[in-house]
Amino acid sequence: MEEQLKIDFEKNLKDFSYSDQEKKFKETNFKEFLKQGFPNRKLENWKFSDLNQIIQSNIGELTFYNDYKKENQIDKIELISELEHNKIIIVDGKIEKIDFKFEDQDKIEVLVEQGEENIRENINSLINLNNAFSNKFCKIIIKKNYSLKKPLVIYHSTNKNTQFKNTNLRIDFKLNENACLRLIDIFKDNSEKNFLNIYYNFEIDKSSILKNYKIDKSINNNVKYSYNNVKQQVNSISETFILSSGSKFFKNEINCDLLGQHSSAFVNGIFDLDDENHHEIKSNINHLVENTKSYQLVKSVLEKKSKAVYQGKIFVSSEAQKTDGYQLSNAILLSENSEFNAKPELEIYADDVKCSHGSSSGSLDENSIFYLMSRGLNYKEAKKLLINGFLLDVIEKITDEEIKNLIKNLLGVKE
Amino acid sequence: MRDKQIEDLKDYKYGFSTDIESFKAPKGLNEEVIKFISNIKKEPKWLLDWRLKAFERLKVLKEPDWQKPKYPKIDYQDLYYYSAPKSFKDKPKSLDELDPKLLETYQKLGIPLNEQKRLNGIAVDAVFDSVSVATTFKETLTKQGIIFCSISEAVQKHPELVKKYLGTVIPLTDHFFATLNSAVFTDGSFVYIPPGVRCPMELSTYFRINASDTGQFERTLIIADKGSYVSYLEGCTAPMRDENQLHAANVELIALDDAEIKYSTVQNWYPGDKDGKGGIYNFVTKRGLCKGKNSKISWTQVETGSAITWKYPSCILKGDNSIGEFYSIAITNNHQKADTGTKMIHLGKNTKSKIISKGISAGFSDMTYRGLVDISPKATNSNNFTQCDSLLMGNKCGAHTVPYIKNKNSDSNIAHEATTSKISEEQLHYCQQRGLNPEEAVGLIVNGFCKEVLQQLPMEFAVEAQKLVGISLEGSVG
Amino acid sequence: MLKISNLSAKIENKSILQDFKLEINPGEVHAIMGPNGSGKSTLSNILSGKKGYDVKGEVLFENIDLFSLETEERAHKGIFLAFQYPLEIPGVNTNVFLKTSLNAIKKARGEKELDAIQFLKLVKEKAKELKFDEEKLGRQLNVGFSGGEKKKNEILQMSILNPKLSILDETDSGLDIDALKTVADGVNALRKKNNSFLIITHYQRLLEYIKPDFVHVLMNGKIIKSGGPELALELEKKGYENIN
Repeated sequence: MEEQLKIDFEKNLKDFSYSDQEKKFKETNFKEFLKQGFPNRKLENWKFSDLNQIIQSNIGELTFYNDYKKENQIDKIELISELEHNKIIIVDGKIEKIDFKFEDQDKIEVLVEQGEENIRENINSLINLNNAFSNKFCKIIIKKNYSLKKPLVIYHSTNKNTQFKNTNLRIDFKLNENACLRLIDIFKDNSEKNFLNIYYNFEIDKSSILKNYKIDKSINNNVKYSYNNVKQQVNSISETFILSSGSKFFKNEINCDLLGQHSSAFVNGIFDLDDENHHEIKSNINHLVENTKSYQLVKSVLEKKSKAVYQGKIFVSSEAQKTDGYQLSNAILLSENSEFNAKPELEIYADDVKCSHGSSSGSLDENSIFYLMSRGLNYKEAKKLLINGFLLDVIEKITDEEIKNLIKNLLGVKE
Repeated sequence: MRDKQIEDLKDYKYGFSTDIESFKAPKGLNEEVIKFISNIKKEPKWLLDWRLKAFERLKVLKEPDWQKPKYPKIDYQDLYYYSAPKSFKDKPKSLDELDPKLLETYQKLGIPLNEQKRLNGIAVDAVFDSVSVATTFKETLTKQGIIFCSISEAVQKHPELVKKYLGTVIPLTDHFFATLNSAVFTDGSFVYIPPGVRCPMELSTYFRINASDTGQFERTLIIADKGSYVSYLEGCTAPMRDENQLHAANVELIALDDAEIKYSTVQNWYPGDKDGKGGIYNFVTKRGLCKGKNSKISWTQVETGSAITWKYPSCILKGDNSIGEFYSIAITNNHQKADTGTKMIHLGKNTKSKIISKGISAGFSDMTYRGLVDISPKATNSNNFTQCDSLLMGNKCGAHTVPYIKNKNSDSNIAHEATTSKISEEQLHYCQQRGLNPEEAVGLIVNGFCKEVLQQLPMEFAVEAQKLVGISLEGSVG
Repeated sequence: MLKISNLSAKIENKSILQDFKLEINPGEVHAIMGPNGSGKSTLSNILSGKKGYDVKGEVLFENIDLFSLETEERAHKGIFLAFQYPLEIPGVNTNVFLKTSLNAIKKARGEKELDAIQFLKLVKEKAKELKFDEEKLGRQLNVGFSGGEKKKNEILQMSILNPKLSILDETDSGLDIDALKTVADGVNALRKKNNSFLIITHYQRLLEYIKPDFVHVLMNGKIIKSGGPELALELEKKGYENIN
């Protein structure tokens, strides 16, 4: 792999006229990745999902070079018809189209940024990989007091010829004071056996609201990793919802720093897994000042040989008095070969806090099934009804009605 | 009464050391020292070979470093691995031949070994530094076929049992400290309960580290044969010394068909002074194997001492319908640190486990609950319930909960709950309005918080533990 | 026995009591009535020593400055507060709590502490008088008790601790008529030459069973009117708005 990496990295550097600073940034990150490689189970964070091994067994040897000059076809990409939206279309980690047609153009700024070294980059080797190989990245700034009229949908797709490839994407978002952004990520791939690596940075200023809905529903054989790095100021809110379902492997990692008082973070998720899919959500909610709040709810429905992992961590620093932190995960194992792993973690250094977590996993309640069947439903209907009820709890946490309905339709959940 | 207890604590009641001439192996860890230990104990060759095998393995093992409390590097060559009171070189035949100073030590600790003053209904095996000094109530127990003696004695008198079970729960190669113990263990208790026998009294071992620069590596092996029952208690203290002392014990429990073992610990090793100087490193491996059908192993621990406590008393639920339980109170104050919890490994069908953990941290201390619940694909219809509660007193301390939950069986259920909170101002006010001072109020509320665990302890220990809970938190109310 | 002069209290800069005056002599029963938010609970909190109030003025209890005493020391001197919302303390047995409390007070007064047998005898006797379900004494303090049981438990504690000054903070709220009678019986049984009561209430209902010597009306942090038992009846008829 090392040879391939070196060749592809050189090729990538040659393609573009990077400034010295950019070059240095890329080289530093590249070296760090070479040193560490893909994360494996020896790292605490990757204990339940050995990415190195997952890539080995699902993809094999990867290539890392991407031709960012090539124009990709985007007219065949299936768009959401249920709701009007702004869009960004991404193919193989390259931004092909940015369209904010519903918005006041002077309220949104799109910059093509260089790699900044001052951002905390030593998160894990995948961020290094991303910084080394991603294209010049895009920064989207929402100006003060502006709420986007329509949601922004980012379509993530791959070219149908792309295979055995690692693609990288980085986008930074800045929500200035009192701004609001609804962001939907939709994953729809046209090819298989690739490793998609996505890195988002969010700066959420005073009184701003970010809602990020990640929808991985279409079935594919790709391996994906997504990292959201969220920094929140006074009175801000972040809401993250993850529907984790279609990919072969998907790990969603959310790091959220609550830096301003009265800021709050919500992380909700559904694992709806089948076949041999293996998905993970890892959250780090860092309560760093007084009076902050976090709430996390993750539900799993696991079929066949699927495996879901939820590692949710609440960290409370000694300054963060009056923290309210809550976390719950429930899993239903529908097959004798499915597996649920959880590591709900609390690390607390302040005494005046209210923190709790709960986790449960087990089979579908046979008594409830029996009850429903005695009322005339067949086994399949009864099961579907119970699972819908089980998942509805999380879906109801979605604060945006339009998007809530979209997701209900996607899951076939009715009230 | 209470004031006296507080005074006692301020000086760590058990902090005296006994001036007894001791007989030590040369400092350092090498084959010679291991042979020396084996030789002085007149061990059979198989055991020496076993120790040497462990030592070979130790050379390639690394000290683990994933735990939360970090500690300075231990120089294993600068420790004594064997220390015994000199008068023990030729072991006394009866208690009358014991060094009077030793008897006095145990008297001070409140554990009379003297046959006339024996504790009511508790048989005691006392371990002083590296060797077992006395076992009481031997005859009563022998009548029922119960073997309760030091492990050294068991090696001589019941080699077939020791050979059959030693290292079957904690293998030679398990991890650094367990392997170290296997190479150099000096003494400890051995218990065998024959089929169908319900042990008529509590069995108890009292551990005491006295000599300085000495590691204590005891090994305990308890076997409950088919249909038997035993309740075993363990208590520990050490003198106050400025340097840190290592205590790396191995405890193996084996429960055969329909047998039950209840193992209780009240750990009050010297915790170090207010500034965190000195104190015991309590790095202990405790593991129980529910080998037979319908067997049960229950761990109860009250951990208030030691500079660092690092242990996970675990249950391997191999037999169908077997049950594992873990009840824990861990209190850290001043600069103490603890990383403790349990592992419940479900292998058999219909296995059940329950974990109740209460952690209290005060002062500058740091406390971690770390636990694993693993239900394997074959452990059909099994379940676990876990409740972990933490209480914080002040914002200079930390309380952490790190559970690992693995469910690989769709017919099995795991439920885990955890909370972190502090004592509410309202509760304190209510108690104070009824005339309690703040420290009494805290003691009362904390004891209430710990009740579920305290209830699991045998009567004699419960009272002691309750006092300890209150005393350990003295000075933490601001 | 209790003399409050020029008492004012603030919480987070919000003024709750202003220029409050009250004097209670041994053997007297005083009732303080007032609408929600008039400062009734603040008064009981301050007298019992709850932290968090910014207090000015003077409160003397048997000629001792009350503010120089900690909460538990006030309890030792004989002040008892029956809480409006009695707290649940999980894991703490009701009997154990009562005994600890009683002996702490006895010890502070230099009296002989009760042993387990003496205590149980006392508690049984008092529980019987108050028709308090003995089985509940073996349970965790107030955990799983109904509202009425919690209030009765407060009165039981009062009769066991035998205080000089008992402050009843809305003890009648949430009680049905039978429970109300029991509570009143408990109070009346304690009424002696040297025992005083301060009954804080919203309604005059309780005062039908415990006849007060004096009734005071508290509005916006001040006593606006004082009188005999007839004042309570007047209040009931006219309402707080039309008094004065």
